[in-house]
Amino acid sequence: MSVFEIKNCKKSFNDIKVLDDISFKVDEGEVVSIIGSSGSGKTTLLRICTFLEFMDDGTLTYLDDSIVKSIDGKASYIGQKDLSLDALNKNKDLTRIKGYFGLVFQNFNLFPHWTVLKNVTDAPIYVQKRDKNEVIEKAFIYLKKMGLESKAYCYPCELSGGQQQRVAIARALCLEPKIIYFDEPTSALDPELTSEILKVIKELASEKRTMVIVTHEMSFARDVADRVIFMDNGVIVEEGNAYDLITNPKKDRTKKFLMKYDG
Amino acid sequence: MANLNNIIIQIIGGAGASLIIFFSTLIISLPLGLLITFPRMSKFKPLSAFFVFIISLLRGTPLMLQLIVWYYGPYYLFGWTLGLSWRVPAIIIGFSINYAAYFAEIFRSGIQSIPIGQYEAASVLGYNKSQTFCKIIFPQMVKRVIPPVTNEIITLVKDTSLAFVITYSEMFTVAKQIAAAKTTIIPLFVAGLFYYVFNYIVAFVMDKVEKSFNYYR
Ligand SMILES: Nc1ncnc2c1ncn2[C@@H]1O[C@H](COP(=O)(O)OP(=O)(O)O)[C@@H](O)[C@H]1O
Ligand SMILES: [Mg+2]
Repeated sequence: MSVFEIKNCKKSFNDIKVLDDISFKVDEGEVVSIIGSSGSGKTTLLRICTFLEFMDDGTLTYLDDSIVKSIDGKASYIGQKDLSLDALNKNKDLTRIKGYFGLVFQNFNLFPHWTVLKNVTDAPIYVQKRDKNEVIEKAFIYLKKMGLESKAYCYPCELSGGQQQRVAIARALCLEPKIIYFDEPTSALDPELTSEILKVIKELASEKRTMVIVTHEMSFARDVADRVIFMDNGVIVEEGNAYDLITNPKKDRTKKFLMKYDG
Repeated sequence: MANLNNIIIQIIGGAGASLIIFFSTLIISLPLGLLITFPRMSKFKPLSAFFVFIISLLRGTPLMLQLIVWYYGPYYLFGWTLGLSWRVPAIIIGFSINYAAYFAEIFRSGIQSIPIGQYEAASVLGYNKSQTFCKIIFPQMVKRVIPPVTNEIITLVKDTSLAFVITYSEMFTVAKQIAAAKTTIIPLFVAGLFYYVFNYIVAFVMDKVEKSFNYYR
């Protein structure tokens, strides 16, 4: 069963096309990597998937929930007439759907005034209204998995970038999402810290977590992802088995892009 | 020396009146400032434009003038004779509304200095608008506005002396009266010392408040 599906997604900023007819789906337990040069629309695509941005046209579905339909060539969000982020945050349907996914940002976006533990547990308790003790127990399991058990009562400013990003991953995990999006999770980190994050994501992949990872780490995409999508200029140029696509790309544009990462 | 004691006792009486203005203004203007920050930041243009105008009016005209308007306005505009009992309310209203305008601008810039990523993370985690503001934005805003708010509070201490324009006997007015009656400048020195000590305490307290937020960056 597919956890997520987007079809014919179009998006422009001030009449400049940023995404043109993007379609792909993610099956349960699948790890999909999105690669492509900067400006190709990867972030915009993830932002549309996580409702931080609206698409102009297309459809979007999480599990059985059809969230965006295409009506007369325009995207129609359920229960939503006014396409503004303010209105969106009041939309009960979308709030429920938000429980289906987590997003890990390039620059972490932890809440600096909260301890690590509160960062990880607050949304499950006060948004998902889950039992406090159950959530805290879960949080410690995930923090332990991230090697951060001892940092539960620290503030984000007391942690290294790599540790902060691991807190952000624990925060996403604690909501028990069906799918986790990563937008260049290592781009803000030193090479040393990069490998510690990649290791953690690899571990999540081995547990068959459904993930979509935007990355510039080609060998990581090749080894960890099941499928790779190569985007250029707002379109999907090539898509396929991760190993095959990265070691043996078919399209010229893909070859040219991957050449930059060789050796 | 008995003379000096006498002066100090009278000035303390005036200081009490100054303190009333000071604390009433703080207690009213801080929440009022926060309250008008929202329409000021509204995406509905006519509403925000209206508040931009009101705030610029309050910040762009002398507080002294505003106090006179609040005190004598009801008579000149509506023919109401409110008498002396209107004096303290007029002062407190005038100060509170004026300071609320300054605080609103401080709060607005504090809120706008919070990185957009905080809102985006909150949105993805499913927080609604009021949760996002109350739990995530407001606490971080408070930390950021403490230094400019401290500056305003110190200005407020000194501004309390403006109540003299509507002949309210706060500390500065009292000192001036004694100085004139006794032809000595000592009362004014004593009053100056009081303001200084008062502000010293304010700075001390605000420093402690600021430090209490140092547990995070
Ligand atoms: N809010 C925005 N307003 C205008 N243009 C934008 C906005 N967000 C992204 N863009 C543009 O969309 C294009 C794709 O950007 P992005 O999705 O960030 O690409 P990538 O993540 O692949 O580097 C870029 O040309 C960028 O300048
Ligand atoms: Mg990007």
